Amino acid sequence: MPATTVLPDAAGASPPTPPPPTHRSRRRRRRDPAPLWLLSPAGLVLAVVTLAPIGFLLFTSFTDYNQRTLFTGRYAYVGLDQYSRLLADPAFWASLLRTVLFTAAMVAGSVLIGMGVSHLLTRLGRIWRYTVTVVLIVAWAMPNVASSLVWNWLFQPGYGIVNWALDQLGIFGDTTDLNWAQDPARAYLSIWLLIVWQAVPFIALTLNAAETQVPPEYQEAARLDGAGELAVYRIVVLNHLRPTLLLVVILSVIWDYNVFNQIWLISRGGPGDATATLGVFTYQTAFVGFQVGRGAAVSVVTTLLLLGLTALYIRNLLRSGEDL
Amino acid sequence: MTHRGRRVAGTLAAIFCLVWLFPVYWMVNTAFKPRPEVMTATPHFLPAHPTLDNFVTAVGQPQFLTNLRNSVVVVTLTVVASVVLGIFAAAALSRFRFPGRRTIMVVILAVQMLPGTALLIPMFVMFNSIDLLGTYLALVLAYVATVLPFSIWVMRGFFVAVPAEVEQAAQLDGASTWAVLTRVLFPLVAPGVVATGIFAFIAAWNDYLFAYTFLQDQSRYTLPVWLASFTNPHTGTDFGGQMAASVLFSLPVVGFFLFIQRNLVAGMSAGAVKG
Repeated sequence: MPATTVLPDAAGASPPTPPPPTHRSRRRRRRDPAPLWLLSPAGLVLAVVTLAPIGFLLFTSFTDYNQRTLFTGRYAYVGLDQYSRLLADPAFWASLLRTVLFTAAMVAGSVLIGMGVSHLLTRLGRIWRYTVTVVLIVAWAMPNVASSLVWNWLFQPGYGIVNWALDQLGIFGDTTDLNWAQDPARAYLSIWLLIVWQAVPFIALTLNAAETQVPPEYQEAARLDGAGELAVYRIVVLNHLRPTLLLVVILSVIWDYNVFNQIWLISRGGPGDATATLGVFTYQTAFVGFQVGRGAAVSVVTTLLLLGLTALYIRNLLRSGEDL
Repeated sequence: MTHRGRRVAGTLAAIFCLVWLFPVYWMVNTAFKPRPEVMTATPHFLPAHPTLDNFVTAVGQPQFLTNLRNSVVVVTLTVVASVVLGIFAAAALSRFRFPGRRTIMVVILAVQMLPGTALLIPMFVMFNSIDLLGTYLALVLAYVATVLPFSIWVMRGFFVAVPAEVEQAAQLDGASTWAVLTRVLFPLVAPGVVATGIFAFIAAWNDYLFAYTFLQDQSRYTLPVWLASFTNPHTGTDFGGQMAASVLFSLPVVGFFLFIQRNLVAGMSAGAVKG
């Protein structure tokens, strides 16, 4: 079990409180050139591999860079054209709406189940607790390319076990040849199941780490006051979990908003563009249609939308006592 | 807790384990079945005639060894670069106070949350124009971009956990900054280096998006791209072989996850292993 209580900190250590530097050492360190030479190798590399590409992404979004450019290297500066055309494109708005709704569904599903499992873990004896933890870690550890292939096989029309199981239930008629990828609702459902399956372990284990820190006396006191189990959970436990829960929700939103591999490997954004969330829409624009300039514009807009959430995440991290 | 409450919890746990483990069980189960048992109208819940044929098929694929080597080279270079660059940066960001430190930390965190395409598109364009697409270097640069920020973040957590007295004692004995770092601090954060290295390994080993976009030539594929393009030209999709290949591909990652489970939550929230 992770012993961590502070979500973002490594080493399973208690909240880091760097000892206050003495006045003398602080003054001495201010002149110390050490941080500069320690940081510069990583700083230079990061500047080249992250900051420069982000700048270049912005630049590309102001050009008509396309398939021809890949061979000739020629492109024209088009100002804000890509953006104005994008904002006038119903396909973009449809994709944005899809992304928001699907992200909400994935986050709601994985956080609710994760909360349930976290609470379940507190009620289990040692053996079950250990077993559930190992199961969670195994599901979490599956690389998403592999799990997407497993999903395709589980939901395969003809020989897939899911169709067989539905067939046994008998309520949906003959489901043997049910094609999951060819129907929007079913494609969403199978991708949703995959994402939730892989997201629950992190959420459950993180919440459980926080839940084990809730002082038992509080719960005892509530019980003595005649509160039922549900009320104890709602009033005492949830109240303690709130900061962790908030971080988990924000992280889940960020990750689910960015999901690409699973959708691409299961439905390729189809049928039609029914499951083309922003990530898939960007990829199709930039690397299938090779309208790279336009794809860059979509990516910039996607990033800007995400930036608000990221800011919220970092603010909460600071508030939760993380010392940057 | 009451006896009955405990039984209910145990039952729920059992149901949860069955449901959550099922996809993994089904992958392994399929991997050990001979083909006639894979493609049946009524599924076999255990292989009647367990066989390693699917694994032989997977490993025997013409490109497997080449692609495995590509993965190993790219992943190793990424891990080494991220850990070496990261450890010095993490030391600076944890053991020293200097102006701009907070800004750097915020940038490092923010970069973690970028959508994949935000780096993919510009890198593709840049690497295309200098003929770097399809090389190991292109992938290593892309992976360092995604792995180095969280490596710094995770290792910083380990540095912060080392009490300042340890460092001060060494300084009083006249040790230089370099000596304090290499002789005192680095050995103390060794477990953090291992954890970070494993996170870096997992992130690079699992990547599909960059490899799939950058690599056109089959002989350059890394294992995730190989896995996703796994088909048998004679018989259509060979699910037995594909599941066997998935097992082989996932095994090191699952092993590492179980090995570092104590640090998982911490590393994950820094964006180490994306879902």
